Amino acid sequence: MVNGEERTVEFPPARRLLDVLREDLRLTGTKEGCGEGECGACTVLVNGETVVSCLMAAGQVRDGAEIMTVEGLERSEGGRLLQRMYQEKGAAQCGFCIPGMIVSSYAYLRRGESLSDQTMRDAHAGNICRCTGYEKIMEAVAAAAERWPRSELAKTESES
Amino acid sequence: MSAVGSKLEGARMMYPGTLVEALGLLENEGTRGILLAGGTDLMVQWEAGVRAAPERIIDLSGVGELKEIRAVGDRLFIGAGVTHRMLRESAVIQRGFPALAAAAATVGGRQIQAMGTLGGSLANASPAGDIAPSLLVADTKVVVASAKGERTVGLEAFLIDYRKIDLRDGELIVGVEVATLKEGEKEQWRKLGPRAAQAISKVMGTYRGKYEGGRVVSFAVALGSVAPKAIRLPDVEAFVVGREIDRKTLEEAEALTSSLVKPISDIRSTASYRSWVSGRLVRGFLEHLRE
Repeated sequence: MVNGEERTVEFPPARRLLDVLREDLRLTGTKEGCGEGECGACTVLVNGETVVSCLMAAGQVRDGAEIMTVEGLERSEGGRLLQRMYQEKGAAQCGFCIPGMIVSSYAYLRRGESLSDQTMRDAHAGNICRCTGYEKIMEAVAAAAERWPRSELAKTESES
Repeated sequence: MSAVGSKLEGARMMYPGTLVEALGLLENEGTRGILLAGGTDLMVQWEAGVRAAPERIIDLSGVGELKEIRAVGDRLFIGAGVTHRMLRESAVIQRGFPALAAAAATVGGRQIQAMGTLGGSLANASPAGDIAPSLLVADTKVVVASAKGERTVGLEAFLIDYRKIDLRDGELIVGVEVATLKEGEKEQWRKLGPRAAQAISKVMGTYRGKYEGGRVVSFAVALGSVAPKAIRLPDVEAFVVGREIDRKTLEEAEALTSSLVKPISDIRSTASYRSWVSGRLVRGFLEHLRE
């Protein structure tokens, strides 16, 4: 499942998830920055957890797993809210880190951790912005948190 | 830049669901392959050509037995497939081995923590690996298995040299057994790097010790990034045990540490800074123990 749609695609199993997304599925919103797990630009969700798609062999994603890329954001109320807040706060400068950054934001808000500077920064610690525009990004996340829809909270383990 | 069609395109992947299946694949010449866990080191090394791209990969991420954390008497077994995230968030680890939980929280960022595993960190055997130093102060035994059986080896012996471990053909790391923090003991993990996340350590380390009646009862300390592998400092430990932690002890332990470690200069730091800061770290650990 990619962004809520079932997709069937053939690929060599050790091809990077990033390449399967961008080249085989033509989901080019996910960016390749460093290609070695340092920058977080290629962050996507696999079963709700943020991973760097440059370091994951696509074959490690099991059949039936749910992948969400930046393209999947606009399908959800929370994702659209985040997009608006990123725009409103001017969170994007050059924009290259944003597809990964906003996926980390989405995962963080879905987890429903107690909102604090500490948890917010920790959730985005694996995403590097070389324009160093972190303040406005954090402002956008905090603004989205204030009106985050309850329906967009991930079920906790005890509930699922 | 790595284009599609890069080094890993030809690799075949196998997906054992159990430890027995994984060991069977490793045993059989026709299916023997390179073990892959979280991929956070191997994928980089393969793509960069630091390691030859494999023909066959055995993906361990589906082996549930490797993801267990459980009590074994008064010790803990931690499976090789336990991720840094699990180490960080496990209440059992936080209570019984807080320095390890703290160390795991400083590896990479959230994404790397969700992917990388304890076993992978040991297998990669980088001197800058953030997991080994904490394990070294906890009387850690590494459990390895092959299709022929299991064996257990002390972590100090398991870490042979720079990127060299005591893992033979057909074997995989099942997990580690560690001593938990006992009544009256304290421990601490500290890491020095250029930034808090996504940074490889310049120097880091962990201590575990006990201070009672104004005397050091026990003190184990291990450092990383100062030698070809993570190391204990037995001479420093022997020096402080039995002493009061006063100004003189702190100064002498700091100087002794700096004189004993023999780090190198590389892109992340210099030998002289690493020696100096190693002494400061040990001094800080002793101050923490005394608090």
